[in-house]
Order: sequence, then structure tokens, then C-alpha cells
Amino acid sequence: MSSPDDAWSVSRLARTLKGRVEDGFDPTWVRGELVGVKRYPSGHWYFGLRDDGAKVSCTMWKGVATRLKVPLEEGMEVFALGLPAVWEERTELRFNVQQVLPTSMVGAAAQQVERTRQRLVADGLLDPLRKRPLPEFPRRIAVVTSIAGAAVRDIITVAARRWPGVELLVIGAAVQGEQAPAELMAALRTVADLPPVDLCIVGRGGGAREDLAAFNDEGVCRAIAACPVPVISAVGHEVDITLADLVADVRAATPSQAAEFALPDRSEVLVRLTGWQEMLGQSMTTILRRRTERLGRTTDRLGNAVLGRLRAAERRVHAVERSLPATLERRVRGPRERLVRMEQRLAPAMQRILADRTATLERHAAALDALSPLAVLGRGFAMPRDADGRVLRRVAEFTPGAPFTLRVTDGDVQARTEE
Amino acid sequence: MPEHVTLGDEIRRLEEIVRKLEADDLPIEDALALFEEGIGRLRTARTRLADAETKVQQVLRDSADDTLKIAPLDG
Repeated sequence: MSSPDDAWSVSRLARTLKGRVEDGFDPTWVRGELVGVKRYPSGHWYFGLRDDGAKVSCTMWKGVATRLKVPLEEGMEVFALGLPAVWEERTELRFNVQQVLPTSMVGAAAQQVERTRQRLVADGLLDPLRKRPLPEFPRRIAVVTSIAGAAVRDIITVAARRWPGVELLVIGAAVQGEQAPAELMAALRTVADLPPVDLCIVGRGGGAREDLAAFNDEGVCRAIAACPVPVISAVGHEVDITLADLVADVRAATPSQAAEFALPDRSEVLVRLTGWQEMLGQSMTTILRRRTERLGRTTDRLGNAVLGRLRAAERRVHAVERSLPATLERRVRGPRERLVRMEQRLAPAMQRILADRTATLERHAAALDALSPLAVLGRGFAMPRDADGRVLRRVAEFTPGAPFTLRVTDGDVQARTEE
Repeated sequence: MPEHVTLGDEIRRLEEIVRKLEADDLPIEDALALFEEGIGRLRTARTRLADAETKVQQVLRDSADDTLKIAPLDG
């Protein structure tokens, strides 16, 4: 129950009304008679729509008005498409008109199309969420069109240029005349019986507006919706959008454009392949260079250690040699020469050992990579250590208030235990 | 190359190989194997792109027994 204590402001009332009226209202066609038609210098139009029982004030903005095919006249019977809107300043309701068609202009055929459209909408067939994505690299495409028409020639030409590997399966159907709807439906149903196709193009070249009737046919539209693979419509008209276009997963303006939408471009793919080839080479070079550097450092250390011991032995021999009287030199010469020969023999042996070690090291390096705590840190783990560098593994090892260091993949973070 | 591996499969696999090698956390044996596979697939993809020919067939329904016939489209 409302009380004066929690009275609304007028603005709040207006805002609330506006929300209640405008939210969730879809554009709606309204039929009525035009009254009080006024065009303001700003280019906007104001008029009323009425029938025997009611009247609604309408606004039509300048942009809409410039697209009108027939000027609005007092007393004219029209269909107006629009949305209700509340003008907050006066809390007045307006029907904001987006399109006006004099009823005299809307022939029986157009009304029929509109009724069909509404039935398709009611069944959810025009829902944008239904639209299926096109496959990236189709192998086989069904083409539903007239065998004799220009559309099939155009599609073949574009396909041969863009993506020659594709197979086109043409299912002939009349695209205009009385037979067209039935033939198009049969052809579309055939798509399901073919060897697997990746998508379907249905269409025709350009034609007069009356000739497009088959593509507004309810059965044809439902056959498109029921097609097991994505459908591209190509009815060959920039201006008139048919119901088939609305049901199809993708609308192309012309058959050539449909083929362009359907197929990747060979030259673009070749450019991509060249790019990948370079990337493969670069990645491999980088990987190999890193391993070689690491290996190089290790073998250097190994080699130096062995050579160092050989030299130390040599130095010892020299020292002994110098300290011996000349008479004993002969006894020493023998071992010294052996030592030199040994060193000479050792060189190739060392090479072999080093090669073996290198291979072993390479295996170990790979294994180490997998086991290294740094690799684990690289995955987002961190290692806490106290001031003495001891790793802290359990809650009990953390002293409240004491600082500790958090080792992450690229360095240390100073941290403190709160409690 | 088995016939059922499509050019599209080939290209998608190549994309995957390039991505894996760029990540650079592979054992060297795996990296080399991927590299070799990548080079092989690049070659195959190029050849297939170059050799490809558009095949145009017409689908006809035999009204007598309601079977489908697929034959090359004339012209």
C-alpha cells in the first residue's frame, strides 16, 4: 500500500511507465487510417492512426520519412510498422513508426508473403540462433538451381578459380514458374540422399520481382530449413530479400558471391602455407639453438676436467724428470713417451666418449626439463622459502609476522605471513 | 597419403603443428618429429592445391525406380 511518506516523483512515474511500455515490445504492424498528418520543418512527421474504436499518436523520424515510396495523405489507409514509446516530458504515449505501406500498394501477393513470414517466425525458422556456420574447407557442395541457367555457370567459374579441389553436385530445378516450388522442394530434399555434402547453394540469376515467387514459397523455405547441411541462398537480387534468404544460413546477393562465401581462396591459402613454412623453420632453429647452447656448456666442462687431469699428470712427470739425475733419465723417458702416446691415443677415444656423453646428456637434459622445479614454477606454482633459504612445506613452518621469499618462475617475491 | 585425409584436414593439422612448435616446451625428439611431419604436410598440401580440378556432376532422379544417378555435367 502506498503512503504519502514514500511518494514517487513525477519523473519516477514517467520513467517507470516508459520502461513498462517499451521493454519487451517487438516491432508490430498496425493497420489504420491516417489523421492529422503534419510534416515539421525539422523533417520529422507527426500523425494519428485510428480505426473505429481507438486512436494513437504517431511519430515518424526524418530518416524513415525520406524512404517513403508514397507521400502520406490525410485519410489514407495504411500499414504502419512501429514500436510504442513514452515521451517522458509529458508522459504521453507515441507509436514510433519505422515503415509505412499504403494498403492499396500492398497487393494480395505481398500480404501472402507477410503471412508466410509470420508463420515461419512462429516456428522459429527465422531465429538468428538457428544459423549454422559454413565449413572452412568444403569438399562437396550441392547446387540447387536451373541446369540451363547462368547461376550454375557462375558458381563453376568461381569455384574453379578459388578452390579447384571441390566437387559440385548440381541438382536441377525450375526456379520460376508454376513448377518451381515443387521442383525446388524435391531438389532440396535430395540433398539429404547424396553422398555427404558440406553445404548447399540454392539460387538463381537475377529476375523480375514476380519471378522470385518460388523463393517466397512456404514449402521451399521449410525445405531450406530442413536441409541437413548449411544453406547459402543466392536469389540474385540486391534489393528484394526473399523469405528463402531469411531462412537460409547465409544470404548471398548473387550466385557468384555464394561461391565466394562457400569456398576458401586458393591463393590466400598458399600465402598462409608459405608463412607456416617459415614459422616451422624458425621454431625448429630456435629449439635446436637453445639445446645446442646448453649441451655446449656441459661438454666444455666435461672436456676441461679430463684434459686438466691429463695435464696435471704431465706436469707431475716433468717435475719428477727434473728432480732425477741424468742417469735415470732413460728410465723416465720410456714412461714419458708412453704418456705422450697415450695422450695421442686418448684424443680420438675422448671424442667418442664425448659423443656418447653428449647423447646421454641430451636425454638427461630433456628429462631434467620435465623434472626441473623451474619448469613446475613456469606452470604457475610458487616455492616459499624462509630467510635461510629453507623451503617451507607446511603451515606450521610459517612463523606469523615473519618475512619469507616466494620463488616464482622469473624471480623472487618478498612476502610476509599475516597470521 | 590416405585418400580420406582431406586437404582441409591437412591444413588444420599444419596449423596445429605450427602452434605446438611455437610453444617450445617439447622434447627435442617430438619437436623434430613434428617439424618433419609439418614439412611433409606442407609439400602434400601444395601438391594437392596445384593438382586439384573442379569436378562438376549432375544429380538426376530416375522417376522409374526413384534412384539417384550422378553423372558428369555436360558443357
